[in-house]
Amino acid sequence: MKLSDLPIVEEVFESGANDRVFDSLLLIGPVLIVGIAIVGRSLLTTGIAIAYVLFFVAYVVYRGISN
Amino acid sequence: MNEATKTIGRDLGRMFQALAGLLFVSILIPLIWGEYYAIPSLLVSGLLPLAIGSLLTSRFRGATKPGKLHGMIIAALGWFCVAIFGALPFFFIAWSAELAPPILGEPSQTPTLAAFTHPINALFESMSGFTGTGLTMTDNEEVLPRTLQWWRSFIEWIGGVGVIVLTTAILARPGSGSLTLYESEARSERIHPSIVSTVQTIWWIFILFTFVSILLLWIVGMPLWDAINHAMTGLSTGGFSIKDHSIATYDSAAIDFALLPIMLLGSIAFPVHYLILQGDLRNLYADLQTRWVFIYMSLGTLVLTALVYAGDTYDSLFTAFRYSSFQFVSAATCAGFQTAVDATNVALGRWSAQAQLTVTFGMVIGGAAGSTVGGIKLIRALTLLKGVRHRISDVFYPETAVRRLNINGRRLNEREIRQEFEEAAIIAMLWATFLAIGIFILLVILPQGEYTLENVIFEVASAQGNVGLSAGITGPESLPTLGKLMFLFNMWIGRLEIIPVLVTLRAVFRRGGLYQ
Repeated sequence: MKLSDLPIVEEVFESGANDRVFDSLLLIGPVLIVGIAIVGRSLLTTGIAIAYVLFFVAYVVYRGISN
Repeated sequence: MNEATKTIGRDLGRMFQALAGLLFVSILIPLIWGEYYAIPSLLVSGLLPLAIGSLLTSRFRGATKPGKLHGMIIAALGWFCVAIFGALPFFFIAWSAELAPPILGEPSQTPTLAAFTHPINALFESMSGFTGTGLTMTDNEEVLPRTLQWWRSFIEWIGGVGVIVLTTAILARPGSGSLTLYESEARSERIHPSIVSTVQTIWWIFILFTFVSILLLWIVGMPLWDAINHAMTGLSTGGFSIKDHSIATYDSAAIDFALLPIMLLGSIAFPVHYLILQGDLRNLYADLQTRWVFIYMSLGTLVLTALVYAGDTYDSLFTAFRYSSFQFVSAATCAGFQTAVDATNVALGRWSAQAQLTVTFGMVIGGAAGSTVGGIKLIRALTLLKGVRHRISDVFYPETAVRRLNINGRRLNEREIRQEFEEAAIIAMLWATFLAIGIFILLVILPQGEYTLENVIFEVASAQGNVGLSAGITGPESLPTLGKLMFLFNMWIGRLEIIPVLVTLRAVFRRGGLYQ
């Protein structure tokens, strides 16, 4: 069974961005937020959240430059 | 029963079913926060639209596709009915706390929550939420149950994109007349040839931006629950806050500046977002409206900074810039968050009349069409300006000259110019007319001498522009019932850009034979 066969993942991949990176960000986002809600503010959670936001911005810029 | 009624009934039923889904999903919130007394209220609030919606859709299953007239009536009636059903959680939860039955764990009542035992206050809050206005009937949002804090944010988030867009994404099938409905909800731009694909794209962009916004606000120091709510209401440019003093509560320059890009994202059209995410960054300046979003926000910020700094409202130029940039962007994107509040929690309370009117101007114009903002919209303001210039310069050309007008990369001929200019002029004229009527009524019903004229203009423009900044007039006690009813109408027409509501009223009056 592939990852894309899982119910929610399949849904996102089918009706989402048609771009694996944006689809992945859509899937990771809520997991990260729930993780922060459980663990709270720590160096690790803050680092992951910063990485998420920076990665999103960097990827948009990268797509713009590479086009 | 005629065919039109069946079509309208079937599509309204679909909207009610979608709304019921939102209410059932929201049951997660009282479960998480242990507010079990709110669960029956949400259940009943969801079952009502579900039952009515299912009845309508099954009864009129075979109805024909909606035409333009049906689309407008469905949009106008749908938004009003959704606001009515959306008011039920406020009403029922407030009464649960009022009656405090032992079986529900005797929830505690507060004066803020008690305001919603009056149906008009609950309806006002719901309409304000769905239309993304943000004017509120609460005195202190912090004491509201988490369930209602969530419901306020959630309905603004949904309303920002549109109830019909939501319904289309969930329940519509290709070829079911979705385009007509989509266009009736003050949207015209398509991302893909299929309208169902278009709304799905709008949703994934909106959801992705929401996650990014939540995490950004959390990184700069906002608690997670606050970040979730403010990201949803900021991105949808709704402006409901879960804090009594809105964003001023945090008194943090980092949070203020983090909210600026979030509100700006909400004021840019979704098709432009899509192109930018596909790597076409040129749209940031090549698209007329997006370019003017940045020019307009920058100019407004500079003028406002100069006014409040010169007026000695703030000690330093940086502080003046911080509050001016936030308040102008908040007003022009129609978000309505407040940072510049005085001791009485009145927006811009210390600001001069000319500064308040500059912010009012921002609220009237709004942001880009096809985004989540209210107001007249930049494209219409620019069409009017270009159209006026075209007409005046016409005199200097020979009668036989063939002239074109460039708007957003389109070269319009004389017939198209007339059509675009007429549409923009009609909306702007109606907007100004209802603004003037609102100001007149408010001046009549408010206690003499309590509010200045600029306060009244500010408040009505805020309601009709779906902004939500308040000069202190809106409140459960301070605003008379007639004023609440008028603001309900202002918010309703403001969200749908007036025409669908007037078409519906005309259809209702003619059918009822009230005039003929």
